[in-house]
Amino acid sequence: MRKNRRFLIGGLIILAALSYMIYGGMQEALVYFVTPSELKAQQPSPTDKFLRMGGLVVKGSLQKDLQNLTYRFEITDGATSVPVFFRGVPPDLFGDGKGAVVEGRLGSDGVFHASAIMAKHAEEYSPHPDGQDSYPRSFVPAREPLIK
Amino acid sequence: MIATLGYSALLLAFLFALLGAATPLLAARTPMRAASGTVWLAIWGQFVLVTLAACALIYALVAPDFSIRYVAFNTTRATPLYYRITGLWGALEGSLLLWEWILIVFSGLVAWIYRHRHREFMPWVLMVFSIVSAFFLGVLAFASSPFETISPVPPDGRGLNPLLEDANMMTHPPLLYTGFVGLTVPYAFAMAALIVGRLDEAWIITTRRWTIAAWFFLTAGNLVGAWWSYHVLGWGGYWAWDPVENAAFMPWLPTTAFLHSIQVQERRRMLKVWNLSLIMIAFSLTLFGTFLTRSGILSSIHAFSSGPVGSLFLGFLALVLLGSFGLLAYRSDLLKGQPELDSVLSRESAFLLNNIVLVSALFTIFLGTVFPLLSEAVAGVQVSVGAPYFNSATTPLFLFMVFLMAVGPIIAWRKASWDNLKRNFLRPAAASLAAGLVLFILGVREFLPLLGFTLVAFVILTIVYDTALALRARRRIAGEGIISGLVTLARRNQRRYAGFVVHLGVVLIVMGIAGSMSYSIEREATLGLNETLTIGAYRIRFEGLKGSQQPTHFRVEGSFRLFRHGVEAGVLSPALKFFPTQEAPVGRAVHRSTLAEDVYLILSGFSEVNRNQATLKALVRPLVVWIWIGGFVIVLGTLLSILPLGKNAARGGD
Repeated sequence: MRKNRRFLIGGLIILAALSYMIYGGMQEALVYFVTPSELKAQQPSPTDKFLRMGGLVVKGSLQKDLQNLTYRFEITDGATSVPVFFRGVPPDLFGDGKGAVVEGRLGSDGVFHASAIMAKHAEEYSPHPDGQDSYPRSFVPAREPLIK
Repeated sequence: MIATLGYSALLLAFLFALLGAATPLLAARTPMRAASGTVWLAIWGQFVLVTLAACALIYALVAPDFSIRYVAFNTTRATPLYYRITGLWGALEGSLLLWEWILIVFSGLVAWIYRHRHREFMPWVLMVFSIVSAFFLGVLAFASSPFETISPVPPDGRGLNPLLEDANMMTHPPLLYTGFVGLTVPYAFAMAALIVGRLDEAWIITTRRWTIAAWFFLTAGNLVGAWWSYHVLGWGGYWAWDPVENAAFMPWLPTTAFLHSIQVQERRRMLKVWNLSLIMIAFSLTLFGTFLTRSGILSSIHAFSSGPVGSLFLGFLALVLLGSFGLLAYRSDLLKGQPELDSVLSRESAFLLNNIVLVSALFTIFLGTVFPLLSEAVAGVQVSVGAPYFNSATTPLFLFMVFLMAVGPIIAWRKASWDNLKRNFLRPAAASLAAGLVLFILGVREFLPLLGFTLVAFVILTIVYDTALALRARRRIAGEGIISGLVTLARRNQRRYAGFVVHLGVVLIVMGIAGSMSYSIEREATLGLNETLTIGAYRIRFEGLKGSQQPTHFRVEGSFRLFRHGVEAGVLSPALKFFPTQEAPVGRAVHRSTLAEDVYLILSGFSEVNRNQATLKALVRPLVVWIWIGGFVIVLGTLLSILPLGKNAARGGD
């Protein structure tokens, strides 16, 4: 009986330590996902929270500065759009009119300062929407699409 | 034609699987001898038919026969032969067929190897195999058939997902699947032991080598996966705590725990229920992993399942868990009464701690992986759990595990005396603390990596010290030299020394992870011709772009000349691959490795108008190469542990 109690106490200590580690880790790493409308609807604006915001890059809103590697664009969910600022190299799939998820904080200036842009590769990828290939024009002259 | 053949083979195999699953149950009252004949027939029937189906699909992919939907979606006329064959596991239906094929090869092997042995167990073992096989064949035949036809027949196919067009495609998925499926062997024997009610060590002793083999394939599969993402995916990392990666890693943890705790049962007849539970959990996690990666539950946040396959897996998983643990509860009276732990300072308790640590790690990773699903299902809030959670929650656990790797194999069974501890650990501990101090002076100031490197040194030093003591003893007794002494030791005590080698491999991996996680640097810049980027000890000069047509894609390569401390160190050419059917290019990263560090280049983009400008992302990652070296050491250790080398072999097992 004494032995069992000792194991019980040991187990509880381990469990407590584990729960503390899990809780602490979660606090740090839990990222909430919002849409632009949800972000705008929250009052006061949550400038302290690390968030993920998903939507489409508004067509024509993308301004790149390749020298400084900065990107400005707007993300929309169809109803509302939020301006985003990003410094770095975005993933391959990122572009005007494309879907994207940005990760970062809303600044007090109302601009979402993204520290990362995510664009997920679908497992079953789909062909180019206009039936065109996406070969770089500076290397390969435009030509008939390979697949009609 | 080929579609009909393949599909009929699957249907027929399904019937054989049902036969194999039902016979032992129906025959419970008649003599088992008759039943085992039928189960045998069922296994061989499945073996032949599933092999036929797999060959039919491979043939259709190679031909290529675009009247089959799976072929049309996963190859093109231009696809090289190599990738047509690997197309077998390029998408859902084919990989399920590969899984089933490996499963039935395993059950055929088991049936053949034990054809004259374990008469009591075998019908039940083969029944468990048939049940699992029936599930997979059911999914293949009725939910996602690889032989579904398509009309009109397209003139050309869509091709393999460009991300999968890589040499590692040949090894990573089959290795991982072999590891997953290999766990069915100990699971089936555990179930048979429960059904028959023979809960001694027989099932464990029989399946130990199978479990080591499965563990080996799991380890290799995960490492090759890490290697693949490091080399190809162009984000400079080998592990991201992505749910798909977690799904592949999770079964590894209870399997590792199991391989340690069964030694306690073999030696001390303790932990019977625990060992049965571990193997059930490991097996269930292989199904859970497939559910996670194949249900679409993770890739699309809103859809809970993109097809019926996910819910089928969930249903079967529930059945497996209910059946296994129900059986365990039913036999609980046979599992009572076992020896107790004699002392906290003993090998038993080190192994017990090792198990607690591994299961805790499993629990935290499981929680982090399913938390987003729970949160959305229960609270309707979309969240994601990032890498920081997994890192901060598992790092202390894994560091403690490294410590146990030094203590566990060397501390005495039952009760270790202080004298004994002092003799075995005092000098290695002192030396590793000194090593830690030296690292501190050299500039390793952060706590976790410093602790990590010190513990790694502790493991290596205890192993070396213990082996040196044994060698000295052999020299005194038999006058043997170092080499012949090592050979004798390995032959006399194969398991111990094989374990040492595997542990060495694991701590080398830990060293690589600690170094590369804590001390990496990263820079990115847009460079004009002959402009340079400086990172760490390196200067990187951009020397132009060139394009070339490859069989399946168009490739744009950047040429970057590398200088280390001002001395030229070669040219690296990261590339972007443009596939005709893919919207965005696929990156191909390149790196230069030394034992100390990797310099790693990613071509992030280039100007569409001006060929003389490219955006480069460069990383310097210390010690990464030790992860791969550690992998090779593990391979050696595993081979050493299962090859029949020494006296153990003569006894036909351990």
